[in-house]
Formats: sequence, structure tokens, C-alpha cells
Amino acid sequence: MDPILEAMREDVLDGDQESVEDNVQAALAADIPAGTILTEGLIAAMREVGELFEEGEYFVPEMLIAARAMKGGLQLLKPHLVAADVQPAGRIIAGTVQGDLHDIGKNLVCMMLEGAGFEIIDLGTDVPPEKFVEAAQHEQADIIAMSALLTTTMPNMKHVISALETAELRQSVKVIVGGAPVTQTFAESIGADGYAPDASRATALAQSLLGLA
Amino acid sequence: MNLIDRVIAHPGRMVVPLMGFPGTQLTHSTIWQNEFNARMQFETIAALVDRFKPDAAFFMMDLAVEAGAIGLPVVFPQNESPTVKHHPVHTIADLDQFRAIDVLYDGRVRTYISVMEQMAAALDIIKGAYVIGPFTLAGLMMGATELAIATIERRDLVHAAATLATEVIIPYGQALVAAGADTVCILEPTATFISPHAFDEFSGHYVRQIFEALDTIGILHICGDTQHLIEPMCATGAQGLSLDAPLDFPAAIAQMPEDVVLIGNLDPVRVMTNGSPAEVRAATHKLLEDMAPYPNFILSTGCDLPPETPLDNIAAFMEAGRAT
Ligand code: B1M
Repeated sequence: MDPILEAMREDVLDGDQESVEDNVQAALAADIPAGTILTEGLIAAMREVGELFEEGEYFVPEMLIAARAMKGGLQLLKPHLVAADVQPAGRIIAGTVQGDLHDIGKNLVCMMLEGAGFEIIDLGTDVPPEKFVEAAQHEQADIIAMSALLTTTMPNMKHVISALETAELRQSVKVIVGGAPVTQTFAESIGADGYAPDASRATALAQSLLGLA
Repeated sequence: MNLIDRVIAHPGRMVVPLMGFPGTQLTHSTIWQNEFNARMQFETIAALVDRFKPDAAFFMMDLAVEAGAIGLPVVFPQNESPTVKHHPVHTIADLDQFRAIDVLYDGRVRTYISVMEQMAAALDIIKGAYVIGPFTLAGLMMGATELAIATIERRDLVHAAATLATEVIIPYGQALVAAGADTVCILEPTATFISPHAFDEFSGHYVRQIFEALDTIGILHICGDTQHLIEPMCATGAQGLSLDAPLDFPAAIAQMPEDVVLIGNLDPVRVMTNGSPAEVRAATHKLLEDMAPYPNFILSTGCDLPPETPLDNIAAFMEAGRAT
């Protein structure tokens, strides 16, 4: 691998945002194509971060700063990706459902998705169905990703799906769900398109739903 | 007497479901009423004790008492737990707004102290109080994601917030002990997602100070998957660890010193709320069987039972627990 991309990978693993940004500049100056910097530098590093998390080497804080470093690099890369006509893998609207303030898991899922090249519109926590619908209308998203950590707020996922149906948007977006109490069976029962138990599998799920994997 | 001595002296297994909210079904009250009215909450707890005869009773789990007392913005839904929605602390200077506050003058702090006084006067079982953990209170001040990142990048801010939290928790805990609490359980859920080393530095260190300042049996409760934290949790001086359903209990207790008591861990939602009484019985028997070799164990639930937990399931849990 190119030594600049190798250094970039290490910077992401260390969560060193400044250094990632410097190396993105260096890679661009060395005429490495933006698409290559994205997939072989940033995305590859985030995949490794996900693995380290699953193995219990990394914990939530380590993962959050790695993801932020990646995001810094991505920001710099964006205009070059646009110029080179590299499309995002897809647009995803994400949020924790109404009544629920747990956001750590949702944030990790967003960051891993972003690390895999998706564009994320994060609506935050305690998001009412109308907000999801409104965002789906305006953002032309491919996927709506919902998180719930409370048994009492899980039914709100169904409410979002119903609201999408009422707004005649259900056919145009995929819906994926997750969070500690959510299961595959529950996801099927509310008519979601998919469920993932953790952030890296959420990424794989989004890719497969959009025919990318 | 230490917790381990009490547990060993107890005839049969101690059985202590973590229940408070389901009692609202007995007193036909809302969670909100119980959070503001000490008499109401005492009656709810007393009704649970009367109905199920557990070996210990705690007052209601409420992670927003200390947060509200120092002035964080708390929202109170009618029939759900109160929570903090906005997190105003971003710098050490932001902590100054809380320093002048004597939490013992707060209305809801006084409510919980009064609940404990009434429990102490009326109940002849072990009476337990809850306080929030220092890292979790820091998380309510700063927001959990910001706190997580700060454990790596702004350690001084995390220490300042946890120190302030400790200064708030100690006098409240002391007042609860003076009111008659036999044990104080520190609730530290936000520490589930940090490394063992970070736990020791940002939570364990302060939890130890709180236990040292309270002349009582100290219990530490962390929800979620805490397999990686068992060793540093034991190092806090906790006499008991109350741990959640994701944990393999025989594997967990094997890592603990014999004089620390493990408390848990029937799944509060999948089994206790969504299961049938027969499923509750089966899961309780299985847990008791798995834990049979260990004297330092109290049969309990992994976390607080939701308000809608069927009372028949609590009865099934008690019955199965007593059958040993
Ligand atoms: C779209 O597709 C996808 C795909 C995958 C997705 C996904 C979406 N979203 C998540 N995933 C998945 O990927 C992530 C990464 O791999 C994973 O995300 P997780 O979020 O599961 O994992 C995170 C990386 C780390 N885990 C966490 O961050 C959650 C940890 C535990 C301990 C937890 C915490 C930290 C907190 N809590 Co809360 N809390 C608990 C949790 C215990 C547990 N067993 O989970 C849980 C969720 N809490 C609970 C409760 C009851 C509560 N909490 C509350 C408050 C809090 C804190 C504020 C103290 C804090 C939240 C901080 C924050 N801003 O997020 C209250 C409610 C607040 C509210 N209205 O939301 C309160 C009501 C407590 C109270 N009495 O006040 C319980 C829910 C019970 C239930 N099933 O209904 C609970 C299971 C603890 C327990 N054992 O009882 C996967 O689930």
C-alpha cells in the first residue's frame, strides 16, 4: 500500500484528526485519486476500527475519536470526490426514535456508515415520526435508520413506518432498525427492511439493501 | 454486619428483585406522583414488600434526582422515568454554576430522604437507597458522547465533573444512611462502554471515595454488558455488584473475590416483562442451579423492573427463588 495511505490508516486508528487531514492533503498532492484515498485509506481504516471494537480492543471512546478523525479527512476529500464524480454509497437519515435519548449506539452506527462512504443526515435523539417523514421528503434519502434502546420506545419505529406509508414515501426508502432490545423478529413484525445487531453489520446491511455488497 | 456475612447467615438464598415501578400497579399511582410525593412512594414500596416479601427493598430508581438538585434541566413524563435532555457543561468553568448549590435543600432530594425514613420506620427487612454514580452524573452534565470523547482528550474536564459529582453524591448518601438506609447502591450505567483502565480512572476512583465516606454496605450497579469491568468494579470496595442480564453469571463470579456478593441477573424485559410465569420460573431455576456452588450470590433481576412487569411474573420469581 502507498505509504501515505498506510500512515493515514494509522492516524485514523489513533484518532489523530490533524494528521489524517495532513495525509489527505499529502495524498492529493501526490496525485492519488480521491476515490482511492477514500476506499483504501479512510474506509479501510474504519473497517479495522470496527473489527477492533468487536474484538474488545477498542471501546466506545476510542471508536468515537477514530470516527471523528476519519470525518475530518472526509470533509477535505469531499470536493475532490465530487469533482471526480465519485458518488456517496447512499444517503441515510438516522435518528433515535421519539421518547428515547440514548445516542451512543446510534452515533456509532452513523460513524461506521459514514466510514463506509455513506452520507448521513443525523436527526439526533427523541425524533418524532413527522421529522423522519419531513427529512425523507427533503433529503431524497435511500435509507432511514432508526435506533431504540427502550422497550417502551420500540413501537415508535412502527409509527415512523406508518407515517411514511401515509406520506406515500414507504416505497422510495428502505427502513433499517437496531438497538439493544430490537430483534430480527421485531423488525419483520413492523415491516422494516432490515435489522442489524451492531454498527458494522448495520453497514453491511445498508450496502446489501442498496445492492452494493 | 458486612453484606457477605448477612448473605451467608441468611437461611436459603436471599431473593431481591429490583422493583419499584411495578408497585404503581398496586397503589394505582403514576410514576410522576411517586417521584414527588414521599408518602405515595413509601406506600408503593410497602405494598410491594407486603405482596412479595423480598429480603430487601430499595426505593425507586431515579437517575435524575441529583441532576435536578444541582440544576440540570430535568423532564418528567407522567409515566416514565425522568431524564435530562440538555447537557450544558462543555468547559471546567461551566461547572462553577453548580458549586454554590447545597443539594440537601432540594425538594426531590428531601422526598427520597423522607421515603427512606418511612421505610426505616416501617419495614423489618434490609432497606436500600440508590444514588447516581459519579461518571453517570458527569454524563448528564456533559452528554454521554461528549463525555466519552473527553475521557481521551479532555481528561481534566472529566475529572473536574466527576469530582463535583462526588461532592454532591456524598452528602446525599450520608443523609440517606442517617435516614436509615442499610445499604446504598451506586447506579453507574454510563460506565458500561469504557475500557477497564478508563473505568478505574474516571469512575472507580470516585466510587471508592463515595463508599469510604458512607458508613454503610456499598453496592455498585452497572447495567449492560460489564464482563470487562468486573475486576476494576471489585477494586472500588463495593461489598456487592449488581449486574445485568447480558452477563454469564458463573463466569462473572469466578473472577470475583469470595467476600464480594454478586447480585442478579434475570432479564428484566425479555423474561420478567415479556415472559410467562412458567418462563420466569424456568429461568429462575436455571440461574439458581448455575449459581448453586457459590455462597456469595443474591438472586435478583439484572436491572430495575419496568412499570408494566406483570405482578404474576414477580410472584413466580419469588416463588421459584424461595423453593430452594
Ligand atoms: C439503524 O440500524 C441500527 C443498527 C444497529 C444499532 C442501531 C441502529 N442502534 C444501535 N445499534 C447497535 O449498534 C450499536 C453499536 O454496536 C449498539 O448500540 P447500543 O446502544 O446497544 O450500545 C452502545 C454502543 C453502548 N450502550 C449504551 O450506550 C447503553 C448502555 C446502557 C447502560 C444505558 C445508558 C448508558 C444510559 N441510560 Co439507559 N442504558 C441502558 C443500557 C444497558 C444496555 N444493556 O444496553 C438501557 C438501554 N437503559 C435503560 C433504561 C430503563 C433507562 N436508561 C435511561 C438513561 C440512560 C443514561 C442517560 C444514564 C445513559 C444514556 C446515555 C446516552 N446519551 O446514550 C433512562 C431513559 C432515558 C430515555 N428517555 O431515553 C432509563 C429509563 C433509566 C431511568 N430509570 O432513568 C434500560 C432499558 C430497558 C428496556 N429494554 O426498556 C437499559 C437496557 C438498562 C437496563 N438493563 O435496564 C447496538 O445496539
